[in-house]
Amino acid sequence: MNHAKAKYEERIMVLPHVLKKKFDNVVNDIVDALGAGLSIMDKDLNIIWANKTLFKILNLSDSPVGKNCREVYKCECKENKYCSVLQALSSGKRQVSETQLITEKGERRYIKNISIPVRHENGDIIQLLKLSTDTTEQEEKIRRLSLLRKLAELMQGQLQIDRVLHLILTCVTAGSALGFNRARLFLVDKERNIVYGKMAVGPSSWEEASKIWNEIVSKYEKLEDLVQASEDHYREDTPLHMITRLMAYSLTDEKEIIVSCIKTKKPILERDAFRNPNSNKKFVSMINANEFVCVPLVVKDEAIGVICADNVYSNKPITEDQVELLSIFANRAALAIANADAYKKLEEKIQQLKETQERLIRSERLAVIGNMAAYIAHEIRNPLVTVGGFARAILREPTNNNQIKRNVEIIVEEVGRLERILANIMDFSKPVEQAPVKVPSRVNEILENTCSLMDPYFKKKRVQLIKKLSTLIPEINIDPTQVKQVFLNLIKNAVESMSDGGTLTIETMMEKENVKINITDTGEGMTAEAMQNIFIPFFTTKVNGTGVGLAVSRKIVEDHEGSIKVKSALHEGTTFSIFLPVKKGQEQFLKEVNDENYSRGGGR
Amino acid sequence: MKTILVVEDDKNQLLLYEQELSTEGYNIITARDGLEAIKRVREQLPDLIVMDINMPKMNGIEAMGKILNEHRKIPIIINTAYSSYKDDFMSWAADAYIIKSSDLRELKDKIKELIRR
Repeated sequence: MNHAKAKYEERIMVLPHVLKKKFDNVVNDIVDALGAGLSIMDKDLNIIWANKTLFKILNLSDSPVGKNCREVYKCECKENKYCSVLQALSSGKRQVSETQLITEKGERRYIKNISIPVRHENGDIIQLLKLSTDTTEQEEKIRRLSLLRKLAELMQGQLQIDRVLHLILTCVTAGSALGFNRARLFLVDKERNIVYGKMAVGPSSWEEASKIWNEIVSKYEKLEDLVQASEDHYREDTPLHMITRLMAYSLTDEKEIIVSCIKTKKPILERDAFRNPNSNKKFVSMINANEFVCVPLVVKDEAIGVICADNVYSNKPITEDQVELLSIFANRAALAIANADAYKKLEEKIQQLKETQERLIRSERLAVIGNMAAYIAHEIRNPLVTVGGFARAILREPTNNNQIKRNVEIIVEEVGRLERILANIMDFSKPVEQAPVKVPSRVNEILENTCSLMDPYFKKKRVQLIKKLSTLIPEINIDPTQVKQVFLNLIKNAVESMSDGGTLTIETMMEKENVKINITDTGEGMTAEAMQNIFIPFFTTKVNGTGVGLAVSRKIVEDHEGSIKVKSALHEGTTFSIFLPVKKGQEQFLKEVNDENYSRGGGR
Repeated sequence: MKTILVVEDDKNQLLLYEQELSTEGYNIITARDGLEAIKRVREQLPDLIVMDINMPKMNGIEAMGKILNEHRKIPIIINTAYSSYKDDFMSWAADAYIIKSSDLRELKDKIKELIRR
């Protein structure tokens, strides 16, 4: 240090000593206006004087005068060698330090201190001046920004859309991150031209807010832990979540605050929703908060959703800073959502591709097997006719040799069995080669038709038939002959599984965009192993079965873009469910047609 | 005695029909394919024809068409292992369509019925 500078510092250091002696109100005001907390202490660190700003910064209730520095500043430096005040006294040089403290009211503050030794005219250090400034705000900002960065990293690594959304909302509500009380997420559905409530995080009531939520949020310091904990606690049946899921707004309705947030792509801060004449009462009552902020999620200049957050429980005003931070966060969040969404779509496409490929392989295999089966069946049938025919001829010859008679009878019987099996294969393998010829048909009519056809069979097998056919089923585009073949196969199987008679239940119903047909028996049921194999060609559990019926049935249903499912319990019974899709638009069209009383005579 | 022409390429099966129908009291003549069948009909007009479909040289349906062209009234029974030919409208020209079986009762009944007409 050069001489001039040392001299200057000395003068500065002396100044407070002088001030102390002749403080009048004016000087006091000036000191207070400095915006820094000032205190003077003796060499034993007892505070002799302090200004008003220090009260504010340290959030003190009593005068610090007469108290010890450590007590007042709540220093965390327990060992003397880390104490900047002691260092300043011993070295005679100013020391800068930063401390974190929890105020008497329980708030966390960041304080920057400068300790300056004060010398007597003879050069001895007699007192110490401590300057304190509150850096809490800056520190929090830095902390939050670094948190946001971490969050963004966490989000980028996450590809499951629901987890991404949940992560986003957790961050918005986490005290250590953005610190809102509640957050809701709305997403745009372009196809339906609406924006709808997707997910919500936060306490549903005051009680919950004070109990559980605080616990979750304050307990976990590290972000990863918090995210994990909130994921564990995440439930979809909370009132908040359910109310949010009920919210949906047309994108043409620009008066809606959510919609206008999407259209303008700018945050909207509503301070006094209950009294604002322009605010939509319905929306406000759903949100149930007087003050809330809506921030758009923007990707590539397009808003894909909105985050709506509020402080309804703590009643803390939402600051501009928070809004700004939320906006920055929302940008990152939007990117993560877009990523996850793209990934999900890709996954769906891959899945579709896989399924198509599998189906193709299956149907190819079935076609090959079918053709081969038909060929072999015919080739075998001709010699069988000869063998069986001659055996019958021998049988007609009068003979006393009973052994020959019995042996020939066996030949006739076995040939008969083979012929029946072949007939089955030839009948069932037939539709494999044909593409369905679809016409608008009524499933119920086909079923009625099939049942009446099989009525004598039911009686013979002592099977009671229960029909529960829904009247709400529209006409659908199917090949009635092929679908009838499926019904015949399944009903025949069902009856055959009930060797001692039983109940056959046939139900039809609408399920989503499918016509669902249930065929339930009270028969033998199947083992899990059998269930896995029943659709494989030539797998059979029946003594005289060919194992082609179900394979062909599935082929037919899949040719109709439908699916077939089976549920079974051993010794209790089996249910086969067939799903046949109702094409979009067709339903409406057919409804209109029906309304006009126009009969298309489907279901042949 | 009524004469029946049995057209069948399978040697053993042909033997079966020959034997079985002879015992029913018919005079049996045979042909091993469609061309031969046409030749036989020209030689000696039968009272009824039992016609297989899948045969070498000329199949049964084609042969039936040619025979019916010359002899409109001769009854023909199609006797085949395939049910699929039922969809072929050419086969509708036959008086009966029987799917082959080792049990010849159906065939015999049909012959009796058609010959009596």
